[in-house]
Amino acid sequence: MTTTLTATPVGTESQLVIAPMLIVLVAAAATLFLGRHPRARAAVSLAAGVAYGLAVAAIDWYIVLAPSAPGIATYQVGDWPAPFGITLVADGLSAFMLTMVAVLGIGSLVFSTRRLPGGEGRSYYFPLFHFLALGVTGAFLTGDLFNLFVWFEVMLMASYVFVAYSGGPQHTRAAFWYVALNLLASAVFLLGVGGIYATTGTLNMADLAQRLADPAAYGLEPVPVVGLLGMLLSVFAIKAGLVPFQFWIPTAYRAAPPQITALLAGATKKVGIYAIIRLSFTVFAGAEVAVDLPLPVVDAAIAGDSPLPFVGAALLVMGAGSILVGGIGAVGRDSMEGVFAYSSIGQVGFIAVPVGIAATTVDPALREFAIIAALVFALNHTLAKGLLFLAVGTVRSATGTSRFTDLGGLAGRSPPLAIAVFIASLALVGIPPLSGFFGKFLVFDVAARARAGPVIVLLLVGSLLTIAYATRMWNRSFWGARTDAVDAATIDPVQVGVLAVLAATIVVVGIGFDPVYEFAETAAEAALDTDAYVDAVDPQEVSDLDGSSGGDH
Amino acid sequence: MTAIALAAAVGALFALGTFLLLRRDLIRVVWGLAIISQAANVYLLAMGGIAPATADSVPVLAGHGEGVPETADPLVQALVLTAIVIGFGMTAFALVLSYRVYEEHDTLDVTELGDRE
Repeated sequence: MTTTLTATPVGTESQLVIAPMLIVLVAAAATLFLGRHPRARAAVSLAAGVAYGLAVAAIDWYIVLAPSAPGIATYQVGDWPAPFGITLVADGLSAFMLTMVAVLGIGSLVFSTRRLPGGEGRSYYFPLFHFLALGVTGAFLTGDLFNLFVWFEVMLMASYVFVAYSGGPQHTRAAFWYVALNLLASAVFLLGVGGIYATTGTLNMADLAQRLADPAAYGLEPVPVVGLLGMLLSVFAIKAGLVPFQFWIPTAYRAAPPQITALLAGATKKVGIYAIIRLSFTVFAGAEVAVDLPLPVVDAAIAGDSPLPFVGAALLVMGAGSILVGGIGAVGRDSMEGVFAYSSIGQVGFIAVPVGIAATTVDPALREFAIIAALVFALNHTLAKGLLFLAVGTVRSATGTSRFTDLGGLAGRSPPLAIAVFIASLALVGIPPLSGFFGKFLVFDVAARARAGPVIVLLLVGSLLTIAYATRMWNRSFWGARTDAVDAATIDPVQVGVLAVLAATIVVVGIGFDPVYEFAETAAEAALDTDAYVDAVDPQEVSDLDGSSGGDH
Repeated sequence: MTAIALAAAVGALFALGTFLLLRRDLIRVVWGLAIISQAANVYLLAMGGIAPATADSVPVLAGHGEGVPETADPLVQALVLTAIVIGFGMTAFALVLSYRVYEEHDTLDVTELGDRE
């Protein structure tokens, strides 16, 4: 008999898709065996970071941005064709997310080589770092729902250890609740995945999109999918730290080493956002399910036969809650990382609101524009918040504290550090010409185009709160009289160098914004183009296989 | 009949897990998490369908020619196997952490942990 499970030729682009994952996997294994050689460990880690950055840059160029680039490439693991094997997919959206994570990850890695936190666990720091990067990269690249669950777990396992890393009583307690919450979330994730498999008979995202768009041809009853998508959304909202799932963030962010907190805020949060965008728009948008929700906030008519209005309503409510809870919480904190942790809850609300508008609107142009706005804002959040958490690391390793009562006059003590933090704070607030200005401007523009008055008011309140807590953080720690801790501080030049490079990136992204916007536009187009995604993955018709077996059953 | 029994089992496991999860003793919380993740595994297994499978419901079998034996859906079994391994690892980690919590706080009572901010 002729089998359709034949190998497809593997091209260079195909191999590029898996390259970043292989690099961090090999680096994690290598650094694990170099436990006794700190210098070699750090050198291998740095080399892996550079190689990772190059691989991501190659994906950006050869798959997405070059004039004759295909825009999307797939790697069928083990040469099993979709939907049977695990498919890895790199398209504009994955590439955009990977690029953000690579920039911040390399910065955090260089930062980590200077001063490793903690005592006994020191030799496991770099392997865990690479496993965290592996989980994040796998989640961005996988095209399979269950495989997404697996990469989430890889990412979480590393982050559990990091939250418990410093080993004090508060750290252990924070880690226990973080682990318990995420174990519960993993069970819910499994329930959602199992339900989707029972409803549609597939877990491959492209196959899923294909089947949901034409349920009659596959004999499906797609209605349960809306509820199952709701379960998955709640899991992703936990990872993204959206209200009402934000409560674990302040303690976990305080417990983890600052250079890891930068990654938790800059990378694992974005995995939640990425999964929401990918599943809602690429996979489930075409599902023919009538959802009728009264949602007076957005003027555009909510109709259509897809679960998107449901997603949109949920995201708008969660985003609004996040902006208020995060902003109000940040104003009253008594330490730098407390302010930034709450600020991180608020900022992710600014990402969720445009995604929510994209899901509720029926206007395709506005939908694409709203996703672009969310991505640009996410980019700014990764750069600025990553820089700020790394700055907390610098301040903590120099002065031994990050509480406002013990800080003051840092600006005079280290002008480069102060300038970097100042630039990142201004980017959070949204001052032109920094990257934050465009993020915030686009989000307001989206709300205005959707003629959503209450959303604009909400965004204004959120922005005012941002100004309030950024100013307060700055006044309390960088101005005022020098404290003893600040006077005795020795500030590491390499750490400040990393901060300076990130600050320069924020300025460069703001000044040369056109190519960044085009990249975000490509990413948003990729997120919305289900057909291209299905074509690239090319899930075979299951009925073809039945035919080839002779049909003697 | 099997479907009803499975549904009852999954429901009972979730109920028991949730009950334990809300206890004050950390070890019971870990037990609750372990039971809930097992409940999710049983549910996942049931989602593959409990009817004897043919090449129609298990398409991979079609590639193996004639004489396909009756079998349950192998995909969910592979998924559950993965989920079980991950769940065991996580439960072990949670147990180690609760031991560490006991070492550092001298208690496993959730409410007392909260007081020692």
